[in-house]
Amino acid sequence: MANDPEMETVATDATDTRPARRRAHPLIWLILAVVALDVIAFVVAPPFPRGGAPGDACAFPVCFIDGNLEFPPPHVVWDLDPANPMPSGSLVIAFHPSITSTLLTMWIVELALLLVGFAATRRPRPVPGRLQNFVEWAYDSLDGFARSTGGPAAARHVPIFASFFIFILFANWSGLVSPVGKVEELRAPTSDVNVTIGLALVAFTYFEAQGFRALGLGYLGKFFPVREFRNGIGAGSIAVFVGLIELMLELVKPVTLSMRLFGNIYGGEVALAVVTALTVALLPVMIVGLEAMLNFVQALIFSTLTLIFALVAMESHHEEHAVHDGALSSEGSTGHEHLATSPAH
Amino acid sequence: MEHLGAGLAAFGVLGPSIAIGILTGMSSAAISRNPDAASEIRGLAIILAGFAEGLGVLAIVVGLLAIFIK
Repeated sequence: MANDPEMETVATDATDTRPARRRAHPLIWLILAVVALDVIAFVVAPPFPRGGAPGDACAFPVCFIDGNLEFPPPHVVWDLDPANPMPSGSLVIAFHPSITSTLLTMWIVELALLLVGFAATRRPRPVPGRLQNFVEWAYDSLDGFARSTGGPAAARHVPIFASFFIFILFANWSGLVSPVGKVEELRAPTSDVNVTIGLALVAFTYFEAQGFRALGLGYLGKFFPVREFRNGIGAGSIAVFVGLIELMLELVKPVTLSMRLFGNIYGGEVALAVVTALTVALLPVMIVGLEAMLNFVQALIFSTLTLIFALVAMESHHEEHAVHDGALSSEGSTGHEHLATSPAH
Repeated sequence: MEHLGAGLAAFGVLGPSIAIGILTGMSSAAISRNPDAASEIRGLAIILAGFAEGLGVLAIVVGLLAIFIK
């Protein structure tokens, strides 16, 4: 019978008009919550022109957008060195100790993650409780993903892969939780160039260290192949040329890692600010959903790239092609699949 | 003049958008040819789209630099 009057607790359709026991899909509640938060934020703290005070007249749309927008350098919450002001102007790099909004949010995110970590592992039981079960499931799926991407050799790199992924994921997502976009003092940590450059430098140090540890000083032989001169001057000079290109590619890796993450998160924040300024409530919900997915993908890409670079750095020159085949092929392939040309990295 | 430069830099997003379009078309064709491999192809496609998008972001960063560096 099509319309069986049995009571079901699983909701099929939020527009179902049958009475009583059906609950709306939880996603509907989430969307309504975000819309309500946007409306409340707009009423309580309407945008004011940059450099003015709250309550100044603000024309729609230009001033709205201007009031919601954030420039790349983060807002300084606590200036640690007020004697020497920050040099402004055409400088790209300036060092000035201060507590910025991104640093504050990063501390909050890290504190929350550490608390969850401690609470989940304080008294580990063979039959785990809910929190421990959830944390175990998360680490296990990250472990499985790392092994499927990198092969069995990836097992030693799983801790740093999981650390990067979890930290970057929650740092990205913290930019979507509501106080963080609107309040001046809080901002997603990875939307700051300083934070992403720091993360990229840590990752760079990690995979260079792995390369040196696996190959010793022979790791430098990948970039300055003086051994090829044994085969003649022609082969030697070609090898030196290729080595220089590899050196340049190696130095480009932290740049792309940091800029990719920064651009995606900061651009997402700009898009969210502009759309929230223009249409106060309904459209920003879609942008929040899109940003949630994109932030997840960017966290995954950062950590996967670190893993792959570490694995590539550990291989000697002759096995490079096998790693490229194995690391990038899907997990369902069995046996050897030698590509006709090895992919340029 | 900086705004002109930033606007021109934004054209750089054209490349990754074409790349992601090609990726989408070919991965859909691959899934239709081999539906059992759908989840692997989907996972791979999402990651590769992220790589392509990263390069488009580099173009945006150049535009931002053009505006904010006097």
